[in-house]
Amino acid sequence: MKTLRRIGLYAGLTLAALTFIYPFLWMASSTFKPPSEVGTLALIPDQITLDNYRTMWARAPFGRALVNSTLVATTITLAVLVLGSMTAYAMARLQFRGRPALNAATLAVLLVPGQLTLIPLYTLIVQLGWIDMYAALIVPYLFNATAILMLRQFFLQIPQSLIDAARMDGMSELRILFTIFWPLSKPVLSIVAIFTFMGSWNEVLWPLLVVRDQQLMTLPQLLTVFALGGGAGSVGVSLASAMVLVVPVVIAYMFLQRNFIESMAGAGIKG
Amino acid sequence: MRAEQRSGSLLAAPYTAFLLLFAAYPIVFALVLVFLQWDLVTAPSFAGFDNVRLLANDGRFWRAVGNTFVFLSIHVPLQIVTALALALALNRQLVLRSFWRAAFFLPVVISGAVVAILWSNLYATDVGLINKLLVRVGLAPVPWLTDPLTAMPAIAAMVTWKNVGFYVIIYLAGLQYIPRSCQEAIEIEGASSWQRFRHLTLPMLLPQTILVITLSTINGFQLFIEPYVMTGGGPLRRTYSVVLYLYTNAFSYQKMGYAATIGVALALIIGAVVLIQRRVMGKAEAL
Amino acid sequence: MPSVSFEHVRKRFGDSTVVEDFDLVVADGELLVLVGGSGSGKSTVLRMVAGLEEVTSGTIRIDQRDVTPLPPRERDVAMVFQDYGLYPHMTVRENLSLGLRLRKIPRQEIDRRVTWAAGTLGLAPLLDRKPKQLSGGQRQRVAMGRAMVREPKVFLFDEPLSNLDAGLRAQMRIEIGGLQRRLKVTTIYVTHDQVEAMTLGDRIVVLADGRIQQVGRPIELYRAPVNRFVAGFIGTPPMNFVEGGLREDNGQVFFIAEGFSIKVPRGETAKAMEPLTLGIRPEDLCVDSSGDRSVEAARPGEALTGRVVLVERLGGTPCASRPARARTRPAGASPRPGRDGH
Repeated sequence: MKTLRRIGLYAGLTLAALTFIYPFLWMASSTFKPPSEVGTLALIPDQITLDNYRTMWARAPFGRALVNSTLVATTITLAVLVLGSMTAYAMARLQFRGRPALNAATLAVLLVPGQLTLIPLYTLIVQLGWIDMYAALIVPYLFNATAILMLRQFFLQIPQSLIDAARMDGMSELRILFTIFWPLSKPVLSIVAIFTFMGSWNEVLWPLLVVRDQQLMTLPQLLTVFALGGGAGSVGVSLASAMVLVVPVVIAYMFLQRNFIESMAGAGIKG
Repeated sequence: MRAEQRSGSLLAAPYTAFLLLFAAYPIVFALVLVFLQWDLVTAPSFAGFDNVRLLANDGRFWRAVGNTFVFLSIHVPLQIVTALALALALNRQLVLRSFWRAAFFLPVVISGAVVAILWSNLYATDVGLINKLLVRVGLAPVPWLTDPLTAMPAIAAMVTWKNVGFYVIIYLAGLQYIPRSCQEAIEIEGASSWQRFRHLTLPMLLPQTILVITLSTINGFQLFIEPYVMTGGGPLRRTYSVVLYLYTNAFSYQKMGYAATIGVALALIIGAVVLIQRRVMGKAEAL
Repeated sequence: MPSVSFEHVRKRFGDSTVVEDFDLVVADGELLVLVGGSGSGKSTVLRMVAGLEEVTSGTIRIDQRDVTPLPPRERDVAMVFQDYGLYPHMTVRENLSLGLRLRKIPRQEIDRRVTWAAGTLGLAPLLDRKPKQLSGGQRQRVAMGRAMVREPKVFLFDEPLSNLDAGLRAQMRIEIGGLQRRLKVTTIYVTHDQVEAMTLGDRIVVLADGRIQQVGRPIELYRAPVNRFVAGFIGTPPMNFVEGGLREDNGQVFFIAEGFSIKVPRGETAKAMEPLTLGIRPEDLCVDSSGDRSVEAARPGEALTGRVVLVERLGGTPCASRPARARTRPAGASPRPGRDGH
């Protein structure tokens, strides 16, 4: 009897897992199908074609968008890690005037919905003349409150003796941070890196506001514009453009899924 | 500790400047913008309470708010039930456990834009996968995204699908905290599986359920890319979301003051809803 | 009529056998204690009675009924866990009554039993509190009350006093013992503490490595331990062990070890010079601190000499430690006159 239950459980799990994976498989296979076959249930097309990809690549600067997304996401992630660590270190281990206020402000920032500050930020960017510039995509994201809080929490637990010894050796605070704290913080650093990178990689609304030039668009943005603007012309092509965005993520996810889950679930709960 | 004070202030200075410029200023300016009319080209002009009055009478805005509640009424219960069911299924010794977990979490890491495009195609009335499957089984195809009655529910189902993995993780964490002795005790006391769920598991997961409700509610109010990509707000404005309206006012109509007003209103509504939810849940938890 | 019986019960986890050939009959109304170190299998045996662990082979019967294939809910047993297992989101009253509510027992009967259990255990003023508002001792009682209220065939206790401090433990020991005698419900009680075992048990089962070492009344285990493990396990302070052998001299048998010889009564069947271990309980030694060598001379073979190394004054019974020559083997002697060693 117990085995019957087990089989039922695994059957149910398989069915559920399929509902989550199958759409992506279907999407992937559709990109290799000629227009006549798109929309069939078959996963392996009768005729495999690369036309969709060729069309997509020709019609819109996806290569450029890939570069843009990578550039923006990487810069932001590095900045958040470095600048965030510096800030978190100061907030965790250094006494300075206004520290509690800064703490409170960081928590408060997390409470405010993004939509409140969306328009004023937009007008600010316009006034700074940053429309259609990388600065608009990067600068507002240089510091991340969730990341700072996480890093701070972690830094609080590192023994004071390590800092004292280093200071006696004459190390500067920055040196202490990067040569002592960082090696010890690998887990939290990778968590922060993942959710920051993914957040930036998938962000659409902000680029839609501040970037008009197709050459500067990020991948999800270009994809949206392309699919909506009719530039795709066919299902296969628009799905092909989606694949460019998705494949790197899925590959990374297959190898690092535990890290992804730990990172994005943890960040979401704290936020 | 003078040196420490100096280093601390120095290290914290960039962040402080950032907060002032990109957090404090926008919040304050948002409130200022409520009272302005500005198209970003000409100079801003004072508008008094015009924006507020307009908003209060703006059918489109309130329709959007209503749409959100329709969305939430489907999305939130569905989210709780599916996330809980999957978490319970995963909460045991399983072969390939991390595989199942990874499968459910996959849509969470995928961009919302991609998911929206994908499901636009799945829901497509004629060539969509879902209708093809329905026909195969002998049922009639449904015009998911073009029928005013099914459009928002369809989006709600899709968003549930996308996020369920995240909430599964939350419930799994909660399940770990139920002491083994409690589970064994209730078995010995004579509970069937269902009774065990009802009297022990579910009540002890109340904090997690509250979290799921709060987070998915906030998420629902921030709906943008899905209606933007899938329906453009239609049919008959039934999927028009508040953020979509905000975006349109800023980007298409160039009405910064009004758009900011929408933003402030949205923040207030979200705040109010979350507070009410917390109050109600707090009472449930105290019980 | 026996209440619980084990017939050749065996439990294996993968490759290792955790409980081996457990054969025992527990009498109706008896308080049986399973005692042993960690890994001895005692908790596993208890959990097999509860149905929380599956039996690999063998049969367990409760009141002649074969319960081995049954799930816990069908066995009519109640268990008190080491961490009590109280439901944190329910009040004391709800904790006590849940089992009865699940079985659809009429409301009046539930109230009667809850009132009775609460009264017996002194829980009446706490009925509307939640577990987190209770002290350790109070939670322990609620756990017991929950078991009592079910009026089961068997009570199972899994190290219930381990999480309490010493004073409370001693007090609860007495209460549990008294309660069990009043209720006359068959009880199987697991502990690693041999003092608890000795004071509570009608009979004790000593377990080591999954096997029964000895079963018997406390006094039997104390006076006539069946092997070295039981001898060393039962009794506080623990028995002293000395390695040595036998020698015959002028018709008198002596036990010889480094530095001393002791007369041994005839009738012990052993070959000469076969290596033996002598066990002497501290209570059976007395210290003659006169320092007079005449004792040794006057009654040869009845005294040990040594130097007192350490005296632990434990209140009523001071313990003195003296090394046997070069080996530092703690030997306890309590200066109680009139007790000679065997």
